[in-house]
Amino acid sequence: MKNRSDLFWKIVVYAILIFGVLIFIFPFIYMILTTFLTSAYSLPRPEEVFTARPNLENYKEVWMEYEFYRYFLNSLLVAGVAMVGSLLLGSMSAYAFARFEFPFKELIFRAYLFTMMIPLVLAIVPQFTVINNLGLVNTYAGLWLIYIGGGVVGSTFFLRGFFETIPKDLEESILIDGGGKWRIFWNIYLPLSKPALGTMAIFAFSGTWDEYFVALTIIKDEAMRTLPIALMMFQGQHASNWALVFAASLIAIIPVIIIYIIFQKKFVQSGHSEGAVKG
Amino acid sequence: MKTRKLSFLLALSMGASLVAAGCSSSDSGSGNDGDKVVLDYWHTYGEQEEKVLVEEIKPAFEEEHPDIELKLTRMPQEGLKQQVIAGVAGNAAPDIMRMDIVWVSEFAEMGALTEMGEMDGFEEVKETLFEAPMSTNFYDGGYYGLPLNTNTKIAIYNKEVLESVGYDEAPATMEELEDASRKAVEAGAEGGISIAGVGQTWDYLPYFWSLGGSLSNEDYTKFDGYLNSEESVKALETIVGWNEEGLISPIMLGGEPGTWEGIEKGQYMMVDDGPWFFSILMNEKDKQNPLDYTTWAPIPEGDGGSRSVIGGENLVIFENSDKKDAAWEFTKWMTEEEAQKIMGIGTGLIPTNRTAAQDPEFLELPFIEQYVKQLETALPRTPIPQWSEVEGEITLNFEKVLRGEMDPKEALDDAAAKADQILNQ
Amino acid sequence: MLQHNEQLNDPGVHEKVKKGKRNKKPKEKKERTSFKKGLQQWREVFPFLIVGLLGTACFVIYPLFKGIVMSFQEYSIMPGADSPWVGIENYARAFQDPTFGYAVRNTFLNTVVTVPINWFLGIFFAVLINMQFIKYKITFRTLYYLPIITSWIVVAFLFRYLFAAGDGGFINYILYTQLGLIDEPISWLQNQWTAMFVIWTFHIWKTVGWTVVIYLAALQGVPKSLYEAARIDGANALNLFRHVTIPMLAPITIFVVINLVMGAFNIFPQVYFITGGGPMHQTEVLQSMIFNEAFTNMNFGYSSAVGVMMGLTIFILTWTQQKKIGKQKFY
Repeated sequence: MKNRSDLFWKIVVYAILIFGVLIFIFPFIYMILTTFLTSAYSLPRPEEVFTARPNLENYKEVWMEYEFYRYFLNSLLVAGVAMVGSLLLGSMSAYAFARFEFPFKELIFRAYLFTMMIPLVLAIVPQFTVINNLGLVNTYAGLWLIYIGGGVVGSTFFLRGFFETIPKDLEESILIDGGGKWRIFWNIYLPLSKPALGTMAIFAFSGTWDEYFVALTIIKDEAMRTLPIALMMFQGQHASNWALVFAASLIAIIPVIIIYIIFQKKFVQSGHSEGAVKG
Repeated sequence: MKTRKLSFLLALSMGASLVAAGCSSSDSGSGNDGDKVVLDYWHTYGEQEEKVLVEEIKPAFEEEHPDIELKLTRMPQEGLKQQVIAGVAGNAAPDIMRMDIVWVSEFAEMGALTEMGEMDGFEEVKETLFEAPMSTNFYDGGYYGLPLNTNTKIAIYNKEVLESVGYDEAPATMEELEDASRKAVEAGAEGGISIAGVGQTWDYLPYFWSLGGSLSNEDYTKFDGYLNSEESVKALETIVGWNEEGLISPIMLGGEPGTWEGIEKGQYMMVDDGPWFFSILMNEKDKQNPLDYTTWAPIPEGDGGSRSVIGGENLVIFENSDKKDAAWEFTKWMTEEEAQKIMGIGTGLIPTNRTAAQDPEFLELPFIEQYVKQLETALPRTPIPQWSEVEGEITLNFEKVLRGEMDPKEALDDAAAKADQILNQ
Repeated sequence: MLQHNEQLNDPGVHEKVKKGKRNKKPKEKKERTSFKKGLQQWREVFPFLIVGLLGTACFVIYPLFKGIVMSFQEYSIMPGADSPWVGIENYARAFQDPTFGYAVRNTFLNTVVTVPINWFLGIFFAVLINMQFIKYKITFRTLYYLPIITSWIVVAFLFRYLFAAGDGGFINYILYTQLGLIDEPISWLQNQWTAMFVIWTFHIWKTVGWTVVIYLAALQGVPKSLYEAARIDGANALNLFRHVTIPMLAPITIFVVINLVMGAFNIFPQVYFITGGGPMHQTEVLQSMIFNEAFTNMNFGYSSAVGVMMGLTIFILTWTQQKKIGKQKFY
C-alpha cells in the first residue's frame, strides 16, 4: 500500500518537473525547428514548423552571405577580453576589500553597492563622452573600458564574500617563504576561488556577449559590429523571414550555452566545495 | 583537472579572439591610403540599393575624383537616431549621411549640420532640383542638405480581388474605394484598405489629407484651427467609420498578415506603398512578380483631392566634419544627372534632379509613371524641428480614436493644442 | 547596465550568505588609525584597488553625478553648446506627462505581479528537485537555468514569434486552433493588457531559473541531522517542511526577494525588445521611458530627471537593507 502511493507521488513529482522542463525548453525547440524552413517569408504556421526537415541551409546563408561569421568573431573577441579583464580586475578589487584594512574602506564599498541599485541606462551618454575624450570611439578598447570598468562593482561585490571565507592561516606558508601580497593573491586566493571565478566568468561572458545599447553607441564601423547589433539589424530587414532570423539567433546563443554547460559543474559544486576549502 | 579545463577554455577564447582581431583589423585598415581624403558616408539603403551604390556609384565617383575615397557604412534602421545622436555628441558622426527628410530640421536646430548656402555653386545646383524635396532641407533661413531621392505612396490593388468586385480599373474616388472594399470584405477578403499602421503619420496621412483633413497652416506655425478643423474631424470620422465596418485590414492595429503578403495572397484588396514595393519584390528570387498580380494608380480622390505624402532622403554634411569641401563635392555629384540616373534606374528611387527624372530609360520602369504623377499633388509632413514630438502627439490620439478610446473631435482638439504648445516652447 | 543586473542576480552570491553565517569572525577592534597609518595602509592596498576604483569612478560614479546635473538643465548634447539651467522644470513636467504615469504604474505592477509568482515557482521547483528520490538533479537544474544565460534579444524575438497575432502564432494556435479556449486569435502585443501579460510571462520565464538555483543550493545546505532529529520526534513530511525547511530558508528568502524586487523594478529589455513601450505608451516602464526620451525625443534633461527620481525611489526602498549590508558586510 504505502509503496504504491509512494510511487504515485513520485510519478506526480516527475511529471511536474518534466512539465517545467518542457516550458523552458520547448520555445528553443520550436525556434530550432523554424530554422529548418526554407523561404519562410511570412509567419510560418505551426503545422509547417512541426513537419520541417532538418537542414542547415539557413545557417549557411546567414553565416556566409550575411557575414555572421564576422560578427561572431567580433563578439568572441569583445566578450573574451571583457571576461578576462573583469575577472582579473574584479578579483583584485575583491581581494583589496576582503584582506586589507584602510581608511574609508566601508564608505567606498557602500558607494559601490549603491551604484549597483541605480539604473544605468542614462549613463550611456556620459560614458560615451568619457570614451570620446579618450579618443576611443569606434574601438574595441573603448568598449572594453566600459564593460570592464563598469562591471568591477558587481564582480567585487560577488567575490569579496568568497575571499573572506578563505582562512587566513593559509597565507602563512607564503609569508614564511618570504612572499608578498601578490603571491598570496595568485597562489592562494585565485586557485581556491575557482568555483566562484567560474560562475563569474559565465556571467561576465554572457553579459557582454549580449550587450546591445553600449555597443550600438560606441561602435560605428560596419565590420566591427557585434552580434547583438547585427541581430537587431538583421531582424529589422528580414522581419518576416523568421527562419533566417532564428538561424542567426541560434548562432548567437550557442557559444554561451556551451560555455555554460562546461562551467556549470563548477557552478553546482560551488555550493558544497567549502568543505574542501576549509580543509 | 579543473584547472586544465579552465585554462583550455581561456586559451580557446583568447585564440579565437586573436583570429577575430586579425580579421577585423585587416578590414578596417583601409583608412590611410596615401593622401586620399576618406569620406565617411552613412546610409540606410536596402540590399538591392546598396548593391547599386557599391558597384556603380562608388567606382564612378572615385574615378572622377581620384583624390577622394568613399567609406560606405550601411546603418541599421533600428537604433539609428541613437547612433546619430551619440555620433554628434562625441564628434564621431560621419562626414555625410543620407538622412530621412523629416530629421533634417531637427538636427539642423541642434546645430549638427552644415548650412550649404555658402558652398561653391549651391545656387546652380539648387536650380536643377525639384522644389518640394529641396524645401525639406530648409530651416531658419538656410538649407542644410540636398535632396537625394524622393518618393511617395500610391494605391496598389490585388488585380484579381479588384476585378471580382466589378472594378476593371482602380477606384478613382474615395467613394469608389469604399464601395470596392465593402464588396471585397463581404466576399471574404480579410481587409479592403490596408493602412499599414498607426505608429507614424506616414501611414495614414494620404487618407486623412485626401479626405479633406489638414495638419497646420501654410507657414507651419499653427495647428489649432487646422488639425482640428471641421474637415479634419470629418476625415478622421470617415476613417473610423471604415474601421468599424471592418473595411480596414487588421494590419493597421498590428494584426496579421502583413501588407505585402496580404496583397500577394489576395487577402487584402488594396495597400498604399512606395516604389520599393515593386523594386524589392521584383528582385526577390522566390517570389511572384508583383507586376503580374497588381494594378496601381494614384490615391483615390476625396474632398481634399488625391493627396499622398512625400518621403525621401536628403544628403547632409555634419558640422564637425573636417572634410567639408570633399563632402560637398560628393553631395553635389550625387544630385547631378549621372548619379541620379544610375540610382533611379537601378533601384526605382525617384530622382530629385529634374533632368534625370525625365530620362526615358528611367520612365520605362513600369511602375514609375504613376509615382511621378502622384508627386505633383503630394504633400510634405510639417517641416519643423519639433516634428517628431508633434507627430508623437498626433499619432497617439489617432490611435486612441481608432481603438475607440477617444472621440475624433476631442482627440484632434487635444492634439492641436499640444502641438501648438510644443511648437511655441 | 545589463551586466550589473546579471551579476547581482548571481547564484553564487548566496554562498556568502551561508558562509557569512557560519564563520563569524571575531570583530576586529576598531582602533583609531592615525593619519600616517592610514596612508601606509593605502599604499599597500593601492595596486589592488586603484584600477577598479578608477574604472568605477569614470564609468559608474561620474555618469551618475552627471545625470543629476543634467536633470536640472535643458541639456544639449552638442559639444560646446550651452545647457541652460531650468530648475525643477524637468521634474515638474513628469507629473503632467501621461507616459510617466504609465511608466510608474507598469514598473510597479511588474514588481507586484512577477515577484510573488517568481518566488513561488522558484521555491516550488527547488523543493521538488531536491526531493531525495529525484535523479538527474543537475540536469534539471541546468535546463531550468537555460533561459537565464540566453540572450535577451533572442528570447525577445522568440516571444514575439510565439505570441504573434493571428492563428499562425504558436500560442494562438494552441489556445484557439487546438484547444478552442478562446473565440478568436488574440493580437497579444497590440492591446495593453495582453501585451503586459506577455511582458510578465517573458520576465518570469527568463528569470525564474535563478530563484530555483538559489533555493536549491540553500536547501542542500540545510543539515540532514535536523530532519533526522525532527523525524525521531514523529514529524511528518509537511511538518518537516514547515518547521525545519521554512525557518532554515528564511534568511535566504530575504535575499531572494530583494533581488527579485530589484530585478523587476529594473525591467527594461523585457519591454524595449518586445513592445518598445507601445501601444500608445501603455506598456512603457521607467527605464524604457528614460531611454526613449533621451534617444528618440532628445530630451536628455527630462530623461535624467526621471532617472534621478527612479534612483531615489530605489535608494529609499533599499535603505533599510543597505544599513544591514553596512553592518554585516554581506548579505
